[in-house]
Order: sequence, then structure tokens, then C-alpha cells
Amino acid sequence: MSSRTAAATSGSIAEFDRTTTRWGRITMITALILSLAAPVYLVFSTDLGITGSMIWAAYLAVAAAFFVLWFVEPITYFPVLGPAAMYQAFMIGNIANKLLPSALVAQATIGAKAGTKRGEFSALMAICGAAMVHVFSMLLFVGVLGTYLVSIIPADVVDVARLYIFPSIIGAVLVQLIVTVRQPRVTVIAFAVALLVLFVLVPAVPALAKPATGIVVLLTATLAWFLRSRKDAAAPTTLVN
Amino acid sequence: MKTTLTPEGASTDILGIANLPVLWVLAIGVFGAIIVQSLVYMKAAKKAGPAADISAAELKDSFRAGAVAAIGPSLAVVLVSIALLTLFGTPAVLVRIGLVGSAATESASASLAAGTMGAALGGPDYTQAVFVVAFMAMSLSGAGWMLATLILTPILTRGDSKLRRVNPALMMIVPAAALIGAFASLGVAEFGKTPVHIISILVSAATMFVCLLLAKAMSASWLREWGLGISILVGLAVAYIAHTSGMAPAA
Repeated sequence: MSSRTAAATSGSIAEFDRTTTRWGRITMITALILSLAAPVYLVFSTDLGITGSMIWAAYLAVAAAFFVLWFVEPITYFPVLGPAAMYQAFMIGNIANKLLPSALVAQATIGAKAGTKRGEFSALMAICGAAMVHVFSMLLFVGVLGTYLVSIIPADVVDVARLYIFPSIIGAVLVQLIVTVRQPRVTVIAFAVALLVLFVLVPAVPALAKPATGIVVLLTATLAWFLRSRKDAAAPTTLVN
Repeated sequence: MKTTLTPEGASTDILGIANLPVLWVLAIGVFGAIIVQSLVYMKAAKKAGPAADISAAELKDSFRAGAVAAIGPSLAVVLVSIALLTLFGTPAVLVRIGLVGSAATESASASLAAGTMGAALGGPDYTQAVFVVAFMAMSLSGAGWMLATLILTPILTRGDSKLRRVNPALMMIVPAAALIGAFASLGVAEFGKTPVHIISILVSAATMFVCLLLAKAMSASWLREWGLGISILVGLAVAYIAHTSGMAPAA
């Protein structure tokens, strides 16, 4: 961090910081508005009978599950990314599995050390390169080819795929999380809490069905904190985005 | 709650509204924002290059190295995205899974939102109205990450040490617990559904486990990247066999 404040005395670097901050924020706010505009358009342009209370209920369920991560992920990645790349990373996504490896490879290629201005610029260019590859492959392979592929797959296959895609994702994601986070105590607590809440508490008090996942998250976090092992040095957390 | 829904809202023709032209335009707008950002950043980096002790050739090499390193992971995301097209339509998948979020967080958000409507993602009760509410919830959840970035980045840049002084043990345990708690809850909930749901989740979990074992044994990191896509395909293939052999209750 100290290198950033020291280098900011150079006029050109200060200008770079100003430009990237201004445009980073403008482009991110634009993407934020456009991405929210899509579902808002559907709510108002279609006559589906969706009410504000339905959206609130859904939002609260999602927020209860994820609000901790909204704040923790930016704080965790900031020291690695620096301010300019923050606005790239949280718009492009797939930070841990794509953007960070790209940045490291680029720094190694030109022999730039992380934490220096050279390293920061190299990482930024690498993320730009990764972004272009990603934008192109998403538009071509998903936007064009994927849409075509779905249109020629038989309807009964599509129906079955739609029915079971969620359990097919969640099983793999859970295993990946458990293996990479490597916190057995937290994992056991999470499953015990989930089983208790979903198969004991919710059947007894059906009103708790909607906030069930939020309840599991809060109980797991609280129990994991109070039941933590006081002697282990915790391993770095792997995040989802 | 379902009583307020109109007959149109109860239609299960998801792709009929999920692929509307306006949604395509908005999705391409998000891609445009990313392209503009990269172009501005590259120009700024080139201009300030000498001050950062980095040459134009080195900037170009960095760009190329980053691009090449991203090919594998990007194609892995493509595979997962295609699998989700029937659920959310192309524009929503492009923006939510391809960009801002990830397959894990977005499908989790969608499933939670569908649950509040008394429906299951992709099930017979997964109507247009449920899709729109799920899409709204995914977008609001993704907005949470972006807003946090917009708010926290200037604070962190100023070097506000209060945020850094957060107890490190707290920063290690609470996020991990929140993450595993959320996904464990969603996973356990699948066990309350049909036998085919249970088979799907077990097969998918086992496939990922094998991928991770092989990745470690053969030090093949690509298997780690492709693990999710492979697990989804194997899970779906087994689900299809189980479903068509009559294990699922008639919907």
C-alpha cells in the first residue's frame, strides 16, 4: 500500500488514478443500472400480477443468505487488486478462478513484482485481456451458439434438464466449497444446523420456511464463531465470485 | 399469494419472456460497459506507463498473457452457462452467470427466490412470474456486491485502517460459515424433494469429488476449472436416465 501513496506524487500516476477511478465508477454504475433495468422492465411491461411484497420476500431471503459476503469479498480482494482493478473485477466476476490467475501469469511474464506500480499496471492489463477473451467467448459461444443449441435440443430433454439442473449444480458447488475452505468444524456445524432447521424447525413452524436459509446462515456463523478452535491459525477463505 | 397472479403469470413458457429483445439490448449494454472500461484503462495505462516504469511492449505482453490465461476458465464458464440457458434465457445468463455473479451464487439466489413463491427452480410450478421474481432477486443480490465495491473502494483507497483492523479470526470464520451455511441449507433442502433430485445432487457431488481428486493426483488444474461443468453434465445425464426410467412422480 505504501508504494501506491508514494508513487501518487508523480503527476502521471496521479492522473492515471484519477482517470481509472472516474471511469471505473462510471462504467460500474452503468452496468449496475442496466443489469437492474432488465428485471424491472419485465415486472412493469408484463401483466403477470407480480406484487411488491413478492419481490421484498424474495429479496429478504437472498439478502439474508448473502449480505455478509457482499461486504467481505471487496475487503478481501482490495489488497490484491488495488482500486482500479476493483471496478473491473466485481463487474466481470469469476475473480478467484480467472482474473487473479491471469494477473499472476502476466506479472511473471514481464518479471514484475506484485505490490509495485509495475505489478499493478501489469495486472490491470492482464485483467483487460482476460475481460476481452471472456466477453468475446460469452457472446459467441453462449449468446449465439448456446441459444441455437438450446433451440435444437429435444423439448423433453430440455424439460428434464431444467428440472434437475439446480441439484446438479449445488452438489458440486458444496463439495468444491468444503474442499477449498478446509474448515471441517464449520462444515459440520453448517450441515447440523441445516438439517435441524429444515427438517425439525420448519415442519414445526411452517412460517419459517421462507427465511430458512437466512436462519441457517446466521446460526452457522454465530455457532462457528463461539465454537471456533482457539489454537488453529485459520486458513484463507475461498470466496464464490 | 399465488392468487394475485394473472393467468399470464402462471404460464411456464419461460423463454417466451426471458429472451425478449429489450433484455438482449440491456445485456449487450453491460458488455459494452466492460469493453469501454477496458479501453479507457488501457489508454490510461499506456499514458502513465513510463511513470510506472513499464514499457509499451511490457503492457502489451501483460495483456496477451492475461488473455491467454483466461481462455480455459472462460470456456469452463461457457459450458456452465449453456446448461443454465433453459432456466433463465440467454440475456439473464449472459449478465448474471457470465459476468457479475457466478453459477453458484446466482442459481442459489434464484432458488431462494423461487422458494418464497412456493415454487422450485425448473419444476412444474416454475412459471413466468416465478422466473421474473427470481431474476429480480438475482439482480438485486448482484447489485449488493457492486454497491459494496462502489462504497468500500474509496474508503479502502484512503487507507482507512478501521476496516483493516477487523479481527482476522472473525474475517476467516464468519465468511466461510456464511458461505457453507447458505449452500449447505440449499443442498439439504434438495433431499426433501423427489428421489431423482437426491440422485442428481449425490452424483454431482461425487463427480466433483473425483474431479478434485484427479486434479490433485495428476496436478491437472484444468480439472478444477472444468469440475463444475463436468459435474452438472454427469448429474443431468444420470437424472435423465433416472427420470425416464420412471423414478420421478408424474408431474
